[in-house]
Formats: sequence, structure tokens, C-alpha cells
Amino acid sequence: MTDVGAVVAERTFQVTRGDLVRYAGASGDFNPIHWSDRVANAVGLPGVLGHGMLTMALAGRLLTDWAGDPAAVVEFGVRFARPVVVPDDDGGVTVTASGTLSEVRGDGLVGIDVTVLVGDEKVLTQARAVVRAPTNAA
Amino acid sequence: MAIDPSAAGRVYPPQSYDVSREKIREFAEAVGDPSPVYRDVEAAKELGHPDVIAPPTFAMIPVLRGFDVLIDDLGVVYSQVIHANQRFLHRRPIRAGDRLTTTTTLDSIRSRSGSDLLGIRCEVADDSGEAVCTATATLLVRETGAGE
Repeated sequence: MTDVGAVVAERTFQVTRGDLVRYAGASGDFNPIHWSDRVANAVGLPGVLGHGMLTMALAGRLLTDWAGDPAAVVEFGVRFARPVVVPDDDGGVTVTASGTLSEVRGDGLVGIDVTVLVGDEKVLTQARAVVRAPTNAA
Repeated sequence: MAIDPSAAGRVYPPQSYDVSREKIREFAEAVGDPSPVYRDVEAAKELGHPDVIAPPTFAMIPVLRGFDVLIDDLGVVYSQVIHANQRFLHRRPIRAGDRLTTTTTLDSIRSRSGSDLLGIRCEVADDSGEAVCTATATLLVRETGAGE
């Protein structure tokens, strides 16, 4: 039995401009602030931003890998607190995600608080999921 | 120009989206997820699913169809829009072969320092009418100045 407060999963992702192009095509989100420096600068942004939904999807991988079955993720919500600026270079930006067990419910569901950082800044806040716990974990 | 507050409460016509195995695979690759449950029907069946299933945030694809109608109705362009928050409540996973419809409601409009905050709710259902996912979001629409 995993204790409330325990970190259940943690991992690091690299996000490059190429990843944004790929996510734009796959998701259908072609907002130019995610691929054009010219448009991003014209609307007052510091540069091309990653899709908030891509950051959320990376955090989601943490949850689905931990649960073992993607169908176990019953609820998942986030606030996009800070933009993720993705530089036009080979390395891109490093995004670190971790999940902490916040609640064990009687119905087999658990609450997971997700922390997603770029550097030491939280880019997602109020990131919480309700997940059917894997049988070997909680 | 600010968004007309009387638009709050509008319900937009259902938008359809047919889910294919290839789109699920493409989406999984775009988020870097190698899990076989998104690609291999047998792997999905081992977990009790009738076909490959989609990652939890794949739901944004049918939901975006609903957003598009709302954004168009309000006369907004996406470069003005900031996605402030997003939440999904999944009744069941989305799977290949689903014929989904997304019904979008503009729940609320609030003004905040020259921008409008739109509270949006999308109900995603399958072709038997079964609820699949409820997605709620807040979009922040930034005002554009004259001539911008």
C-alpha cells in the first residue's frame, strides 16, 4: 500500500520545435503562436509556446504508465499557469513531471497531484487526477 | 470589442468526429507514448478493451471541434486565445471506431482587466447516446486594439 504523500512517478521530457509541429498536426491545433515566432512576438509573447495540451499529455503519460491501463484515468484537470517557451534549437526545453498520491478512496480510486516544472517554475498548477489504482500499488 | 455577455448560455450544434486507429496511433506518437494499447488491438484486448483506446487527452480532438464553432460564433481568432485550464471527466475511454458527437455550451463569460474569460463545457457522446467524456475549459480571450 502506497502512502498518501508518496511520489508514485517522476520523469523528464524534452520538447523541441519539431515536437510542436508534430503535435499541431496530430491534434488539429494550428494556432500560429505554437509555430511562428513572428506571430508569437506580434501578440506580445516571448517566443513560440508549446501547446498547453501537449504539456498536459506528457503529464498524462506519467499517469497512464503508473496505472498500467490508460482507461484507469477517470478525471484529469490542469490549469495552464505559465507558458512553456520552446527555443528553436536541437535541445528544446526540459519538462519535469511528478505525481504524488494525495488521496486513497474507498472505491478503488486514488487522487494524484501532478507537478510539472520547467526549471523550478510550475507550468501547470491545480493539476489533479483521479485514477483507478493499479492492483500492485494502492 | 468585448464579447457580448448575452452569448452566455448558448448551446452549439453537435459536431461529429469519427475515431480511427491511425489517428490514435498518430496522436500517441505525437506525445511520445510507445504503449502498445494505442497501436495493437491484441494488446488492448488483453486489458479488456474491444479495440485500441486513446490516451486521456486525445479527447481534446473532438472537443476542439466544439471550440471551433464557438470561437467562430464569437468572432474571435485563436491567436487572441489563451487556454487557461482544462479538465476531463472520462466515463469510458475513447476507442477506435467510436462515432462521437461533441455538444458545446458557453456556460459563462466574465470580464477581467480587459480580457474575457469563457467558461466552456463540452459533452462528448457516442452514436448510441452514451456519455463518453465531459470536458470543461476556461479560455481567456485577449482584447485586440483598434487596427490590430
